[in-house]
Parts: sequence; C-alpha cells; structure tokens
Amino acid sequence: MAHKKKNRNVGIIGIGQTKHSSHREDVNQPELIHEAISLALKDANLTMNDIDCVVHGNMELFEMVHQPDLWHVLGTGAYGKDCIRITTGGTVGATIACASDNLVASGMYDIVMAIGFEKLQEGHTTGGITNMADPLWFRKIQAGALTGSSAYDVEKEFGLERADRASLTYRIIMDKHAGLNPNAHRSFGLDFGQIDDLIRTSPRLVGNLKLIEMCSQSDGACCVIFACEKKAKDLAQTPVWIRDHITVHKEESFTIFGYDRKYPVLKTHKFAAEQLFKRNDIKNPLDYFDVFEMYDPASWWAIDWLRDFFALKGDEHLKLIEDKEIMIGGKMPINPSGGVIGSNPIGATALLRVAEAALQVRGNAGPHQIPTPVKHALASGFGGTMWTVMTMLEKELNW
Amino acid sequence: MGKRMAICAVAQIKNDAEYWHLRFQNMLLGCFESIMEQTKVTFDMEKGIRNIITCSDDLFDARTISDNGITDVVGAHFRGEEKMAQESINGLGYAMASILSGHDDVILFMGHCKESQGESRRMISNLAYDPFYSRPLGMDYHNVDALQARAYMEKSKVTDEHLAKIVVRSRQNAKKNPYARENKLVNEQEVLNSPMYADPLRELHIYPVTDWAYGMLLCCEDRVQEFTKKPVWVTGYGSCMDRYFLGDKDLASNFSLNNASKRAYEKAGIKDPKKDIQVFELSDHAAYQLPMWAEGVGIADEGKGGKWIDDGGMDKFNVNLSGGQLNGNPLLLGGAARAMECYYQLSGQAGDRQVKGAKRAVAQAATGGAGQHQAVIVMEA
Amino acid sequence: MAEYWGVKVEDIFNSMQERFRPEGAKDLDTVFGYDIKDEGKWKLTVKDNKIKIEKTDDLSGSVATMQADGETFVGVNTGNVDATNAFMGGKVKVEGDMAAFGKTGKLFRKFVIAQKEMTTKDYLADMFATIVPRFKVSEAAGLDASFAFDLGGPDGGKWTVFIKDNVCTVTATIEGKPTVTLEFNDAKDYVDFILGKIDSQSLMAGGKAGAKGDLNMMASKWPVLFEKYKDPLAGNVPQQELIVLKKTIGLNEKFSTGPIMGKFLKGLKEKKIYANKCPQCGRMQLPPREVCADCRVRVNEIVEVGPKGEVRYMDIVYYAMPDPLTGAVRDTPYGGINVLMDGCKGNETLPHFIRKDQIEKIQMGWNEKKGTRVRPVWEENRIGDIWDIKYFEIDE
Repeated sequence: MAHKKKNRNVGIIGIGQTKHSSHREDVNQPELIHEAISLALKDANLTMNDIDCVVHGNMELFEMVHQPDLWHVLGTGAYGKDCIRITTGGTVGATIACASDNLVASGMYDIVMAIGFEKLQEGHTTGGITNMADPLWFRKIQAGALTGSSAYDVEKEFGLERADRASLTYRIIMDKHAGLNPNAHRSFGLDFGQIDDLIRTSPRLVGNLKLIEMCSQSDGACCVIFACEKKAKDLAQTPVWIRDHITVHKEESFTIFGYDRKYPVLKTHKFAAEQLFKRNDIKNPLDYFDVFEMYDPASWWAIDWLRDFFALKGDEHLKLIEDKEIMIGGKMPINPSGGVIGSNPIGATALLRVAEAALQVRGNAGPHQIPTPVKHALASGFGGTMWTVMTMLEKELNW
Repeated sequence: MGKRMAICAVAQIKNDAEYWHLRFQNMLLGCFESIMEQTKVTFDMEKGIRNIITCSDDLFDARTISDNGITDVVGAHFRGEEKMAQESINGLGYAMASILSGHDDVILFMGHCKESQGESRRMISNLAYDPFYSRPLGMDYHNVDALQARAYMEKSKVTDEHLAKIVVRSRQNAKKNPYARENKLVNEQEVLNSPMYADPLRELHIYPVTDWAYGMLLCCEDRVQEFTKKPVWVTGYGSCMDRYFLGDKDLASNFSLNNASKRAYEKAGIKDPKKDIQVFELSDHAAYQLPMWAEGVGIADEGKGGKWIDDGGMDKFNVNLSGGQLNGNPLLLGGAARAMECYYQLSGQAGDRQVKGAKRAVAQAATGGAGQHQAVIVMEA
Repeated sequence: MAEYWGVKVEDIFNSMQERFRPEGAKDLDTVFGYDIKDEGKWKLTVKDNKIKIEKTDDLSGSVATMQADGETFVGVNTGNVDATNAFMGGKVKVEGDMAAFGKTGKLFRKFVIAQKEMTTKDYLADMFATIVPRFKVSEAAGLDASFAFDLGGPDGGKWTVFIKDNVCTVTATIEGKPTVTLEFNDAKDYVDFILGKIDSQSLMAGGKAGAKGDLNMMASKWPVLFEKYKDPLAGNVPQQELIVLKKTIGLNEKFSTGPIMGKFLKGLKEKKIYANKCPQCGRMQLPPREVCADCRVRVNEIVEVGPKGEVRYMDIVYYAMPDPLTGAVRDTPYGGINVLMDGCKGNETLPHFIRKDQIEKIQMGWNEKKGTRVRPVWEENRIGDIWDIKYFEIDE
C-alpha cells in the first residue's frame, strides 16, 4: 500500500529556543531546557496543563547523563505527563518532530511538546562523536565528524579554485544570515571580500576542510509544540502543518571511499528526497519550496548535498551558490537562521531546522524573515553514519 | 488505521547471564531472521517495512548512538529507524502511534542489551542522577529502589518473608519458560539468608545481570492477514513521569503508575482490571515491586500489598507467570519481555504456563529509580 | 600607543614575565612571534622553563607568528573580544605551526586589568570633562540657559554649564545669574547620585541637597540634554563566580568480538587480512560484518585479501584528535587512508593509517589513475587488535 493520508492533521502551534552559545555555565541542563519551554508555551499562549505528552531527545554521551529525561523533568515540565524519549544521533531533533507528528496524528494525544537539547560544552564533542564507531575497529581511527572527503569530491569534479570559492561563498552567506538571527551562536561579520584571505589563512582541520567551514559546538535547547487540527485551529493564528516526513538510515561502515565511478555510492539524502517528493507528487522541489532549512554541519557537505536534495544536475548546485540564489531574497533561500554552521547544540539542532522553517512559514521569524510569502518549507536532519530525516511543512491544508 | 495495533510475530534469544561469544549484532540477527521467516515480510518501500523501531542504550552499549551499530542487522539500511531511548515498553506505545497515525503500516520492533558488557550496571544508573547532588551521594537505581522498598513495605505491610515468597515463585515460574534466564531454584530460607545488598533489599531480591535481544513485527489492522493468522492486539498505552528528587515525592506512592495504567485502561476501554484482564506481567526489578506495581495497576488494594500476597493474589491474577523481570531481563528491555509473555499467553503459545481462555493482558515497565517513569500497555487476543 | 579598554598592547607583553607559569612551559623549547598591526613585533622565547619577551623587528626562527590588530589583541587578552570569533573571523591569524602556538595558552596566567580606584575628585573631573561630549545638540534648539553646580565638602567645587546657540560650554566657576543652581552639602553625595547609588528624594528630604531657580529646567530638561554618564569603572566590576564541576567519567567494558569480527581479528594475529563476501551481491566487506546491509542476508564466506593494496583516499588530519578509548591526543598531522586491498573492487576499502613520514608522497587513486601501492607493517607481538597492523607504508 502506498503512503497513506494521515489519520488526522497536525500543526505546529508553539516554538521556543534559547540563545545558542558556548558560554552557558550560568544554567544547568534542566534550567537551559526550561528557557526554551517557557518561550514555546508563551509563543503558543498555553501552560503546561495543556500539554498531553512530552517527547525528549538528545545524545546522552555528550553530557554523560543516563536517561536524562529523568533529571530533566525539573525543567521539562513533564511531571505527571506522558513522556517518551526517542533518539537517533544528530538527527534526533528531527526524529522527535516526526515522533510528535505521529503521536498527535494517531489520535492518542492532542498536544505534544518536543524538546531537543544539548550542552556540548559539558563534554568533548569530537571525542563523543568518535565513540559512535565500533569499539573493536573504527573507533580507533575515526576523527569525529571531521573528514575532508566532501572537499575532495567537489574539488575532483570542479577544480580546486571553484570548489574552494563555492565553499567559502556558502560559508559567508550563512554568516550573513546568522548575523540577522539574534539566537545564532556564531556570526563573525564576514564579507565576500574575505574569501581569498580565508582560503589562505583559515587553519585546516582535515584535508581541505578548514576551521571556518566547520560548525560550532553550542549549548542550546529548542522546544516545538504540536497540536491536532482542531486544537491547532482553535489555539493558533497561523498553525504550520506537517505534511510528511521521512527517515533514511545507512549501514555503519565508512568504507565508502573508493572513488570508483563504476560503483556509485547510494546517498541517503538523495534517496530520502526522491522518495518523499515522489509520494507527495512534487515534480520540481526547487520550484515548489520557498525555503529550506538544511542540516549543514560543514560548508563542503552543504554544497554537495544541495544537489542531492533538489536532484540538481551538473554544476547547477554550485551556480545557485555562486549566484547567491541561496541568500534571503534569492530563488531558494537556504538556512535564513544561519544554519548548523551558525549554531549547533546537537540534540536541538535538527529540531531547530523544523522550528526555523515553521517560523518562516508563519512569517514572524524576525530580522531573518524571508521578505516574500513562504507557503512550502523543507527541513532536513543529518546524523549517524550519513542518516537523513526530512520534514515538509505547509501554510495551507490543501495538499 | 483503526484503534489498535497487531503484534504479528515475535522472536527472542534466551535470556542469559553472558553471551560472551557474541556481539549484540549477532544476538539481534537470529531474531531478525526468525521474524523474516515467520512472516515473509519484505522491505519493499510500498508494501514492506519502511520503519524500524529499536530499543537499546548508549551507556549499556558504551557507544554514542547505540542504534548506529545495528542498522544492517535490523534491516534498516536505506529505511527509517528510530531508537526508543527509554524502557522498551514505550517502543510499543510509540509504534502504536506511528501505525495509528497512518504514517506506517508495518513496523519491525527490535531491541538488544548486553548488560554483561560493562563492569558495573550501578555505575551506569548512577549516571542517571544529576552530577551535583544525587550522583556524588552515590544514588543508583538499586539503592534508590531500596529506599522506596523500605517506605512501601512499611505502608503495605510487606515483610522480608513476603519478598522471599516472591523470589521463590519467580524462579519456579521461570523454569516453565524456555526463554527465561537459567537460575537455580531457591527456597524461602535461602532467600532470607541471602546477603543484604541495599537494606532492605537482599541480593536475591534484585534481578540478575542479563543479556538479551528480541524482535517483533507490528502491523496495522487492515493488513494483519498478510503476516499472521493469529494476531495479538495492543489496544491501550499510557505513561507518566514522576518527580526527580526523592525528597519531592512520597516514595511509597504509585503516582506515576496509577496515572499510566488509568490512561492505558481508558484507551483500551477497561473498566475493572480485576475482572477484565486475565494476565499481568509486571516489571519487578526488585521483589518488593511486584506487590507495589500490583497496587499501581489496580489488582491489589492500596496499602494492602502484604495481605494481597497472603491471599494468593499473585496466582489469582496470573502475575508474572514468565518469572518476571526478577528472574532476569536486561534493565531497559523488561517491558518488551513482559509484552512478549502476554503475546504468548494471548495467542495460546505459553506452553506449561498457559492461562486458559486468556483474553486480555497487561504489561507494565518502569524507567529510572523508584519507578520514576511508568508505562503500561493493554493487549487483547 | 593606543589604549583599548584602558590597556595598551605593550601592557600585555610587559606583564608576560610576571604572568608566566613555569608548569605550562614544561619540555618546551621554542620561539613564537607576535605581529601587532601598527604597534610593533614581539618575540617570545621559551626554554628551560623560562621565557624571554623582547620587542624586535626580527621574528626569524619563530615556529608560529600571531597576527592581529591592537584592539583585537588587547580585547582577546582582556576578555573583551571572543577569541574563537576573532580567530574564525580572520581577525587573529596564526602563520606557521598552529598546534604549537596553541601551547602559549598554558604559558601565562590571565591578564587582569589593574583595578583603578577613583576618588570623588576624579569622578567630578570626569563628569564635567565629559559634559560637552555627552551634549545632545538636537535637544538644545532655541535654548538659552545656564546650569550651576555648587558642591561643598573637601572635594567640592563650582561649575557652570552654559547652553546657547546650540553650543555647550563649561566653566569651573559660577558666573552671572544661572537659570538654576544645584547645591550639595557634600560633593560625594552628588557623585553617588549621578552613579545611581542614592536617589534625589532621600537627598532632598535629608536636607543634603537643594536647588534654586528654575527647578523644572533641571528636573526635566537636563536629563534629555545629555547622554547618561557612564562609570569608567563599571566594566571592572568583578563577575559573579560560576562554579563548574569537572569530572572524568570512565566505565570499564569488555567488548565481545563475536564469530565474524573475531575471525578478522584472529587473522590479523596471523598477519592475514580477511574480508567476507556476500552470497547474493558478491560485495566484499572490510572489516567483515554479520550481514550484507544491501541484501539483508547473513554473510559467512570469509576470504583472504591483500595484504597489499592501493590508496584510494586519504584524510590528512591536522585537528588534535583525542583517542576516545585512551584519552590520549593523537599526534598531528596524521594520514587516515582507505586502501583498496588486492582482491577487492570498487569502494570496498579498508581504513587505517599511513606511516607518518610518507603522508606527502601518497597519491589517491581513482578509475583512471592508480593510487600509491601500500603494504601493512605488522606489530611484533600481535594480540588480535587493529593495531597489530602498526600502519601501512609505501610498497616500493
């Protein structure tokens, strides 16, 4: 049976997030979460009494807290509520959005609150990521989420100079977007005139992956409130509807580096996008969507993935970047929020993509709001060994 | 879509003290193959499994994203996969939501834990407490359970002798369960002489370290005939979170379990659990929890747990015929083990433990110390 | 030399000797350079648990040189500029050995801005000296008024502020007939009043202060005519102490290897590299896995491959990466390679490390071009661990 229509529609009616920062020693974990929750409740004009179920997610080995939802109840407000905890690595924020959608659509709960959280300063992030590898084998070799392989791919196809400049152009656009987002962690005030200088001077992390091109490590939390159609219409002026979502995982194996064109490696982003758009009858996603909040952990990955998500051919993806069509005001604005390169509290990061996309649809994102109307928004999550979660948001219930 | 979710097939390996010769990938693989064999289900994007729900734990596996190492052995390569990072019973609740929402028709639900892998499970549950106050005090699930045991036993007149009775019965029942951990039978005197572990809990009062893996195929009502002739239905789920600091709550209270069972019964249309339900599987991490959770799900009167045992309540209500958590399941997978026993009972496959004419069953499980988070599912034949 | 936040660039360098932490210089024998735009160059020599800092134009011999402008340099050292932001944004650059330069972070105690005391006299001088710069001409259109201040006590004095034709002037006397005169018995109360430590009501009520003339002019007009006075010491208030609990958490584990990974690790012990081959698609897996993820079938056939092969990809890692199993920081740069072992095809590569001194010589291969041939270098005492292969080296 093909993908069916939902049991009932689900809308986002409340959004809250903390300011993302590397300096949140002033709050502990539940207190940080509480900031996001208070903002989301205020945004939705609700109290905790209105919430039926709380969905909690993060990556527990970053802070080394086992079953953190138990302690975090001090900040989540889940006392006396149904409460579940679902995790999937870096995609976890997107997963709890999907889970909340399912929980509400099922009819089991009317209003569900999703909480994504991380305090990366409380542990060692790259060490924590490396811990995901097999202890008998790749854990001894892996370097966290750092690899120069995407840079190598792009360079190999388009030449070093064009590749480098595209990566830095993307990076600077994200920095400019982050500069408009008061919650963004890092905004350096970069300008396009600095491209050559940054290519030359930004320290290399791995291969041609430069420090400036990699995401930050942030403390932050995000909270999104989901409601069934009836309650969403009653409670919110502009509910943002969840149309569909898809999750695609990949085997645990990094032995994909062979560069043999006779054996192309199937990519999860590409597969997920194809499946999602096919079952929703989206012929040309680049035309259909008005904004895309993409989980972009590094600018090299980002420029490569644009091609996968939008089924672009040849150098169309590079042209989008070079022509600055991905900027606010362009044809396909990517990450008006500044993206993951701007802020990365990992457990919250993928939920922030959904939240920021929803803010754009609502039209009240703030200084980084896209000037033209946003009817259709896309959000992606990334994690694990190249895992994908995609979420489609709509302004109207007319699909 | 409907209002209920079918369990089409289950598979498990035997609960064991230590699968020293296997990785958890190997443990899961046998379960995966059995489900494929029993149901002939495929991974077709239209008609097959598009989503897998797993249950495992980063700290017990000692790896970030514990579900990352099992993508291939649960068939999740280029399919969806989501990890229940809580007691496995909530995986069934979440799977039910995924299916009733219409998002998925068929879900594979798998879980694993090698509790024997780490040097100390207490070090792990100690990490569930905040780093500033409770953790340095040395709190872990066992000694927090012990504090609750003392408070509850006072309240409900449960004695050391009652706990001995529970342990003896658990091991006798487990002997009839081919998948149960193999523990030696004990008599009441041996339990009463068992060394004190965390007063009032003795060593034999606490479930032993166990390795286990399981799989289940779950499906929407419309398509159940494709996979089985004898489905068992999940008709209700509810959970509830209690307070964190022990000083903030009445330790002897069943606040969270009362709420969780009330919510599950309401969804399943259960009015009187004593009459409507024939089988109860309760996650007794420690012996005192059996009567306490029995009060919580409404088959023993509040504050009367001791008398309930004396009156033969455990056998009258068919509680933990599998041997229960007490005989040995990994900490976070007890709920799946409970549900699996309910499945066997309701589908008439429980062998020597079979309850004749069992129509409805309840599985319960807790996450955290002193049952901070509770969840209940109702199942029907 | 310019001052930033009351600190000169040379203050930072001049205090280095005093801020030096010998424990941070253990085993260091090196030279660092600092090139501060428009300010000059400094050379820091670290040797035998001692440092030497000198201002010089000759930075030769430095393993790494930091470049920044004076404001950024002072800002980073005084905590007024976020160091990461400055670095990432290109305002601070390091030429040379970045990792080595990182060690300067442990050489010195934090620079602390000397806590200046300000007397009532200092404050009064500052307050009236900043009157003209704080004057908002836009609020003074058509205004012709004078505000007199008669402040008593040992530190007191008299001032008049004139506003006429959109111009503000200050004299240190009281002249003519002021529009309004403010009188304080003790000048210190005036300072506290302006700093917000005491309110006007309690001053007036206590008879400590009074006013003559057009009171409304002082109460309503004065506050809009001038920007609020800023306490030059306000930035110097000690920050609230935030207690942070530091812990290293370790859990002892024993990882079973199982029949598939076990065979692979046992093979290494015997200097053999084993892959396993999918019975359906024929894919070779390195290291072997329980199943073929593509076909969802158990993979039992074990096949010996290599031990030599061709480098298909190499990551040169510069980032100082901690080994999560030991906590030790890996020595950088190192080369993580993916080797297409003889007997494998396509992307069926094995990840490992290349001999450190050969990183520069490695050629990555693809369809048209063969990569560098490499062979494993085996550990003498092998235990069935991936480090039984010490690393790969070029097979010449």
